[in-house]
Amino acid sequence: MTRMLAAQVGYQLRMLARNPRGLMISLFAPGVILALRLSQSGSRTGSPSEKAAIIAGLAAFGLIATCYLTHAIGLVAARESGVLRRWQASPLPRWGYFAGRITATVLLSLASGAIILAAGIGLSGAHVPAGSVPALLAVFVVGGVAWAAVGTAITALISSAEGANPVLIFTYLPVILLSGAFGVLSEPKWLTTLMSYLPGQPVIGSATRALEFSGSGLAPVSGRDLAVLAGWAVIGLLASVRFFRWEPVRPAHAQRDQAQAQTRRARQVQA
Amino acid sequence: MNAIETERLTKRFGGFSAVHDLSFAVPAGQVTAVLGPNGAGKTTLIEMLEGFQAPTAGQVRVLNCDPRAGGRAGQRWRARIGLVLQATSLDSQLTVLEALRLWAGLFDQPIPVAEVLDLIDLAGDAGTRIGALSGGQRRRVDLGLGVIGRPELLFLDEPTTGLDPEARRGLWAVIQQLAAGGTTVLLATHYLDEAQRLADRIIVLDDGQIVADASPDQLRARGGMPVIRLRLPRGTALDGLPASLAGHVDPARGELSLPSADLTGDLATLVAWARAGDVDLTGLEVGAPSLEDAYLALTGRTS
Repeated sequence: MTRMLAAQVGYQLRMLARNPRGLMISLFAPGVILALRLSQSGSRTGSPSEKAAIIAGLAAFGLIATCYLTHAIGLVAARESGVLRRWQASPLPRWGYFAGRITATVLLSLASGAIILAAGIGLSGAHVPAGSVPALLAVFVVGGVAWAAVGTAITALISSAEGANPVLIFTYLPVILLSGAFGVLSEPKWLTTLMSYLPGQPVIGSATRALEFSGSGLAPVSGRDLAVLAGWAVIGLLASVRFFRWEPVRPAHAQRDQAQAQTRRARQVQA
Repeated sequence: MNAIETERLTKRFGGFSAVHDLSFAVPAGQVTAVLGPNGAGKTTLIEMLEGFQAPTAGQVRVLNCDPRAGGRAGQRWRARIGLVLQATSLDSQLTVLEALRLWAGLFDQPIPVAEVLDLIDLAGDAGTRIGALSGGQRRRVDLGLGVIGRPELLFLDEPTTGLDPEARRGLWAVIQQLAAGGTTVLLATHYLDEAQRLADRIIVLDDGQIVADASPDQLRARGGMPVIRLRLPRGTALDGLPASLAGHVDPARGELSLPSADLTGDLATLVAWARAGDVDLTGLEVGAPSLEDAYLALTGRTS
């Protein structure tokens, strides 16, 4: 079983790495925005907390785009093309497919997050102690799993690859923008409270604090943020178990064949 | 031992009965073709046997298991069957070799990947991404993935639809090789020549019910009387053709097709008419009814 799972993670990583759209979303887009924002705020003169917020926000932007958008679009495409049906009929347990796919997605998102962080630190000249790394890793792993779980569940609402973007963008962009990926939001209060319960702000907030950390030892991680993210991971996984569809909406040719047969039978009955 | 057993198997979608009261058994090692027009229920039947759809009523056992079984029993069962689905279902970004290796890893004793590449005649394209292959080559990859786990039972759902004649023959050769090795095959197809070439037995479905279940030869014999066929040269005037023959001309196909109880008499009439009108008889054939004649008679289709 371990061998089967390792093969599955390798396969999913290969598929993600060969998907130029996914790489564009997770690396290129946040990288360009990062460079623009740091040059805008005066990369060498901005306050450390301002720089930390910008870098953390864009690393989270890339990470969440990979775990949510790329992951969900990939699942819908695999469902439409019949690839999921083939896996469904294979000896691989169903959870094994998702374990492989989510693990690969989170690994790739961690790599892209690390690249954005490194680029941000290099461009801004910020100093980040090694003690921040475990906190960043923890929040990115739990956050990545949470977004991938929610991304898996939301595919139940998407009927086709064409219909995927409106649903995903409409759910992703408000959360990511209002959570502070492009600048911290402090008003109104009710909105910031609401955002703290959604899975965007805990990733960005915790990552910002880890980047701001300047003490010795390990940077602290907010237990509340991790609990919110873990909660979303559980909600996403439970919803996926309950609502996930392996099959596309019945294809047009099958509906047509069925309608033809019904018409023929009706004619025979009349005759 | 039977590989497949169904008892009063029924599938309804709302008020529409796609498969109705089907009872049949397929012995291990047999190649069985399921024929029928669009909407006859072939795909619904095969999907119930594969476990994708739950029957509305009736029983189904495949390799002595319930195809809808979950858990470890379901996994073990799925390791014993092979599928070639109606539509190609492959990751276009993988190479042929990567796809076969990935799939081989799912089974305890897979056929070595190199052997599968030879079997599907794609050894020269092992490093090619599946997205860059032709339709026929992709179908062969589908087949390779279907057989790599040494399945006891192989489901083929319209495996050659849309392929050119050469690709079809290539795929047939692979299927014949597997069948010769003892694999039980259930083949759903539109093509009579495919069924005739590959199958030991043909089940004809129409409107969700079995209308015939026989060997290809037995089925052909049900077409009835011997048939006189003549492909008429373009522009042939039918003036003077006796009504007993003229009624069997299909103008759209430009063909006379006459089931004949009096072969000598009908041929004499036809030859006399051809001589009088100087009609070329190069396309004249006399023979047993074809599988197509039998099939059309069974399903009530005109063509």
